[in-house]
Amino acid sequence: MNVLRVGLLLPCLGVVACSPATENVAPLQEGIVYCSEGNPESFNPQLGTSGTTIDASAAQLYDRLLDYDDDQQQFVPALATAWQAYDQGTRYRFTLRDDVAFHHTAWFEPTRAMTADDVVFSFARWLKPHHPYHPVNGGNYPFFTASGLNHLIEDVRAVDAHTVEFVLSQSDSSFLANLATDFAVILSAEYGAQLLEQGTPQQIDTRPIGTGPFVFEEFRKDVMIRYSRHEQYWREAPKIKQLVYSITPNANKRMLKMLTGECDVIPYPLVEELALLDKGDEINVSSTVNPNIAFWAFNTERPPFNDPLVRRALAYAVNRAAIIQTVYNGNARLATGILPETSWAYSPVDLTYGYDPARAKALLAEAGYEDGFSFDIWAMPVQRAYNPNAQKMAELIQADLAQVGIRANIVTYEWNAFRRRLARDEHDSVLIGWIADNADPDNFFRPLLSCNALNVGTNRANWCQPEFDALLSEALAENSLDVRKRLYHEIENWVYRDVPLVPIANSMRFQAYRSDIRGVEVPAYGGVSFRQSYRVVEEQQ
Amino acid sequence: MIRYSFRRLALLVVTLWLLTVFLFALNYFFPGDPLTNMSGVRASNPEAYQQQVVARNFDQSIVMQYVSFLGHFTRGDWGQSLTTQRDVFADLMPLLGATLELSLLAMILAMVLGAPLGLYAAGQQRGAMDRVVMGISLSAYSIPVFWLAQLFILLFAVKLGWTPISGQLNPLFNIDVRTGAILIDILLSDTPYKKAAIADAINHLWLPVIVLAIMPATMLLRVMRNSMLEVLQQNYIRAARARGLSESRILWLHALPNAMQPVVRQLGLMFSILMSNIIVLEVIFNWPGMGSWLVKSIYERDYPVMQGGLFTIAALILLVNVLVELFHAWRYPQVRKELYAEH
Repeated sequence: MNVLRVGLLLPCLGVVACSPATENVAPLQEGIVYCSEGNPESFNPQLGTSGTTIDASAAQLYDRLLDYDDDQQQFVPALATAWQAYDQGTRYRFTLRDDVAFHHTAWFEPTRAMTADDVVFSFARWLKPHHPYHPVNGGNYPFFTASGLNHLIEDVRAVDAHTVEFVLSQSDSSFLANLATDFAVILSAEYGAQLLEQGTPQQIDTRPIGTGPFVFEEFRKDVMIRYSRHEQYWREAPKIKQLVYSITPNANKRMLKMLTGECDVIPYPLVEELALLDKGDEINVSSTVNPNIAFWAFNTERPPFNDPLVRRALAYAVNRAAIIQTVYNGNARLATGILPETSWAYSPVDLTYGYDPARAKALLAEAGYEDGFSFDIWAMPVQRAYNPNAQKMAELIQADLAQVGIRANIVTYEWNAFRRRLARDEHDSVLIGWIADNADPDNFFRPLLSCNALNVGTNRANWCQPEFDALLSEALAENSLDVRKRLYHEIENWVYRDVPLVPIANSMRFQAYRSDIRGVEVPAYGGVSFRQSYRVVEEQQ
Repeated sequence: MIRYSFRRLALLVVTLWLLTVFLFALNYFFPGDPLTNMSGVRASNPEAYQQQVVARNFDQSIVMQYVSFLGHFTRGDWGQSLTTQRDVFADLMPLLGATLELSLLAMILAMVLGAPLGLYAAGQQRGAMDRVVMGISLSAYSIPVFWLAQLFILLFAVKLGWTPISGQLNPLFNIDVRTGAILIDILLSDTPYKKAAIADAINHLWLPVIVLAIMPATMLLRVMRNSMLEVLQQNYIRAARARGLSESRILWLHALPNAMQPVVRQLGLMFSILMSNIIVLEVIFNWPGMGSWLVKSIYERDYPVMQGGLFTIAALILLVNVLVELFHAWRYPQVRKELYAEH
């Protein structure tokens, strides 16, 4: 029967017609697909601390006044060509480049190059509560509040078109480091004025304009983000014409898409599959040292976690070494305190609690909980550099706690909802972590444990002790490295005694690449950068 | 026929109306503020919230609230998403296009595959091939779609490397989304790489289409076979044979048209099954359609989006079923007679 044959053949025909894959077409060779792990919250790093937002915005769309060079461990010029400190470090002057073009897009045509006005606009937005853009899109600037920059900088003003002056309330050894972070980006004042006139100021963060190597084209939630090359970029323009973030939250799916060639670069490949990936000559895996810490924070406002004895008992009850083996597959280092080994203020003394269930039980009895209690562990739904699988970690902890008579329930939500609820302090305890934004040790303690950080929702332990804050400030005002090191040791000791959180691991940040991709940079401090990336095109034989 | 059509359409309208009542009630059953659930405007934005209170009659009785809800709903004002703050109705259109493209192609493939195979099996009744075809169809029918999809992905994409596994098109082809149906969008676009883009889109399409088509195809196959066998035993077929008509003439002119009747009746049901499978499949293949959108909105507790997605999928299934019934009644008058006699 002829009909039958046609019917049977159709699907096969489909396969045959399509199997010669569409290789060697210009757009496919001139672009790179990065399979990112989630939707960005906005396209302005000033507004968030989430790594996903930073990866999608900071290094691609924007530039900063200065950059931090990991290799040489020093600051290098970016939008500012030179800077100078005056008045014992309470006044800084930056000289700006005069050849920096903003993005040309369908929704904004810049008429001038970057000037001091743009720098003042960018800083005033989060610094000055009465700035017209301050309340736009939430009005929360977590990094600047948590790092204390909003109190440190008293004023930003344009001296002339290409000179900007910062007035500080006191000398601060981390000021330049903070300006070099991914958060201190320069926006366009002209674009801001245009949007105000149109009555749509909120667009400044959703249809971004910057000076960076890529121009924002479109964002389709849960599908992709598209960028194109910024042709008038003040440095050498990127080699690739197009950059696409294909949003793939599922880690298994990312690995599969890497294998089928749909992704050129993926972040956070599954640790268990790493070995498998390394074997193929199509796919390379690289790791970078990442200044991070995964921890388990207790909501110290809620009983029974307001009792340090209980917190210490839980710290004793958890077998962290097993977590390193199971969750990280050994690709991480057991944390010995808050600061990772890579920090200059790191001290080799182990300031954590070893696995000791008997001790935990004794402490619980002392605190009056010999029959145990039940509470929630919140586990992140996404993989982060510091924690590839919070769910599994929560399960291990759950089992450990059951040994000492404590019942833990594991709770999770979609990532953005998770962060929102955390910020509202709805949790008992949470498995989360922190990636430092700059090389200063202050960046580990102030955002995580200071009273300032309570309001911005990075202090997951809800822990506030003014004397601790005073010690942090003292360490920051100090200029001698040796004294600072000693102070940070004291701070670590304080955290050890009070256990607002249990440090778990410092891990590497992994990326997987297809073998024809070069030049993707993952700096230790900050998000992924595609500025110098390109695809090696093999000549047809 | 007119009376019948009128009754079916009236029933459709009543069902859709009941659906809106249900959706309206859902706003109160969902946790949180009913007005926020309905409009996507949070109370943290007092100005916009107050506007919504007035626009949606929330300062009046619940009946007036429903009247206003129905008005907004029929005007296509379905509120804004709680997560993206974008208009739900505007966002929905391209997603619907993507889903319809996938389901139509799968439906066509199911018919092209299922009907001839059913005929073939009927022709070989109780023969070896009949058993083979029926055996394969029964096992294919019993495999859950999500599992089959994973299996095919492992085989065709990972092992053989024939096809990509996610989305409609390599995103590096910069095609504007207009209808959401990728093939149409490529044809409408002004890209210089049209041919390559079409080839790439088909390369993305064939695997989900086949997986999706398998279940309706096996259903169709069995309905086709059984109804054909039944028709072939009718007296008029025997009479035709007795008169010496050729076998092919009997088959094509007398048996097939009559055998199609139960098949047509099943099309509506097939479409409903296809739509529930497509939701799972869109998630697996990252297809930017209604299904993955709806699932995502459930994860994110995005109530305005959930309502929009629910209504669209339910309305689509209802509409297709009514259309199939109308066609069925128009094409096979004896069905109408049965209906009238009953009522």
